[in-house]
Amino acid sequence: MSDGAVLVDLRGVSKTFGTVTAVHPLQLRIAQGEFLAILGPSGCGKTTLLRLIGGFLLPTAGTVHIGGKDMTRLGPEHRPTNMVFQGYGLFPHMTVAQNIAYGLRVAKVSRVEIDHRVGRAMDLVHLEGLADRPVTNLSGGQQQRVALARALIMRPDALLLDEPLAALDLKLRKAMQEELRRIHASTGGTFVFVTHDQEEAMGLATRICVMEGGHIVQDGRPEEIYNTPTTQFVSTFIGEANIMPGQRSNGRVILNTGIAFADSGAEEAVVSIIRPEKMSIATHRDDQTLAGCDAYLSGRLLDAIFRGPHVHYSVAINDKIVVTIDSRDMDMRRRLSIGDDVVVAWRFDDQRILTDR
Amino acid sequence: MRLAPNLRSLLLAPSSIIFVVLFLLPVGYFFVLSFWRVRAYQLRPDLTFDQYITVVTDYAQSIAYTFGIAFAIAVVTTTIAFAYAYFCRFKAGRFGLVFLFVAIVTLFGGYLTKIYMWKTILGSGGILNSAFMILELIDTPITAFLFSPIAVIITLTHYTLPLAVLPIYGSLRGITDTPLQAARDLGASQTRVFFNIVLPQTRIGLITSFSLTFLFAAGDYVTPLLVGGPHTSMIGLFIQSQFGHRLNVPLGSAMSFSVVVCCLLVITVVALLINRVTRPR
Repeated sequence: MSDGAVLVDLRGVSKTFGTVTAVHPLQLRIAQGEFLAILGPSGCGKTTLLRLIGGFLLPTAGTVHIGGKDMTRLGPEHRPTNMVFQGYGLFPHMTVAQNIAYGLRVAKVSRVEIDHRVGRAMDLVHLEGLADRPVTNLSGGQQQRVALARALIMRPDALLLDEPLAALDLKLRKAMQEELRRIHASTGGTFVFVTHDQEEAMGLATRICVMEGGHIVQDGRPEEIYNTPTTQFVSTFIGEANIMPGQRSNGRVILNTGIAFADSGAEEAVVSIIRPEKMSIATHRDDQTLAGCDAYLSGRLLDAIFRGPHVHYSVAINDKIVVTIDSRDMDMRRRLSIGDDVVVAWRFDDQRILTDR
Repeated sequence: MRLAPNLRSLLLAPSSIIFVVLFLLPVGYFFVLSFWRVRAYQLRPDLTFDQYITVVTDYAQSIAYTFGIAFAIAVVTTTIAFAYAYFCRFKAGRFGLVFLFVAIVTLFGGYLTKIYMWKTILGSGGILNSAFMILELIDTPITAFLFSPIAVIITLTHYTLPLAVLPIYGSLRGITDTPLQAARDLGASQTRVFFNIVLPQTRIGLITSFSLTFLFAAGDYVTPLLVGGPHTSMIGLFIQSQFGHRLNVPLGSAMSFSVVVCCLLVITVVALLINRVTRPR
């Protein structure tokens, strides 16, 4: 969490639909100025959580405080939050300017100020010249900007975004990511967005809450989440990971592949997690590439996929498990052919040992 | 799909022929007749505006009266139809289509059946009066229920209601939930959401339903004949009698065209009004 004052405070909030629990009781504090991503697979409860903050759902238990006030029972129209909806939810019978001005009109802001602020909002999201266009005549990216401007013009304490970029194509998505970062920086507001796209979360957020099955399973800065995942789920959901099961006893871990090392902790089944880019590959153990490594496994090269900046290798170890390696060593790529006997290796410092669940 | 011009006109031909033969030609025929006159029960070709002058002098009041009743029917029916369609779309959950189907099924009852049904209910020996008598609310049957303009309004409202529900439901179905939530999120109350977001999007449905009921009520002559009584002199009855026992087809035609033009005027004005009221600002 960053240093700012707490803006949104969820205390023991849960939500049950019939017999299904979408969100288990959880605590979540969002600080002023944060750009928070709620990340998880579909059905993990992330959208429910966002809707609880926005006031579209009444929590089954717990309270929602925003700006220090208990707003649990207040509807969305009484909360200092505004939402950018998945699918945008623009008013189809209105023009761009009418859509953006709607909230201010409801708030009975003067015509002069509305015009001024609508103009500014449209400049901010680069919609200049489209004021009188019906929103149904806009491209997906432009509609997205209208939805953003319509929410931003209300100067919300917290801007809530529900899968804001999901409907856009890759190029537009990248561009909008930059836009969102720029707008967040220039408005200085608090943004909370929901996504299932880990790259989007990493690229945008200053803090990520990973959700699984209605629980927040990890909460931290993007690099923390990536480098030190606390569960197997997080390690595979955010980025790729090699997972090697093993057993810990007498202060030693012995992986099923035979690798052994000292590790203190409870006597239990564990997994070793190693990111593909932390793995090295070579034709034999004495190769210069593997210098400094602690663990070595022999295997057979199954596949090598060229991915631009790196090559993605799959190696079968003992014909039982498959390990993946991302290597930037293009020289090595020329020396390896599919079916070759190879050696993969890593340093113990680059692996993470977690309880196997 | 792009078709060769020849093929296109060929495919359009059947419907065009039906339209011309069964609609344009008869209408044109009666339009021409409306400028003729009748002498000694014989049609005489002419180019006179006498028939139209008669319409204005003798029947303007009846047309106005008819339009008053038709307008009342259209307003009442469109309002009830809106409420019902709104209920089906937003309040009835997954039973919405069932309720819609129920409304449509009543159309199978037929037109005359509904008229006689209301006669049975509203008549002096009818269900309503009998019930009031049994409850000792009244001593003698109230005869004013039947054979009154109110009876015409009730009967035609009942008949046209399912027809009016459909266009409005069609418009309401096109409204998705997200914009409604977005409006709430931007500070609008439920009422405000209704007037700003829901109503404007049902504009087409409202205009269609209003036109449908208004035209039906303004042109109907069976209902006023059977439940309207002697003082409910709607224009349809007069037109029918000009074509029937009075054998004055030119006058009947002139009356018909006058009514058609007035109907178009009323509908245009109402459509403009609905557009104006629901226009986003």
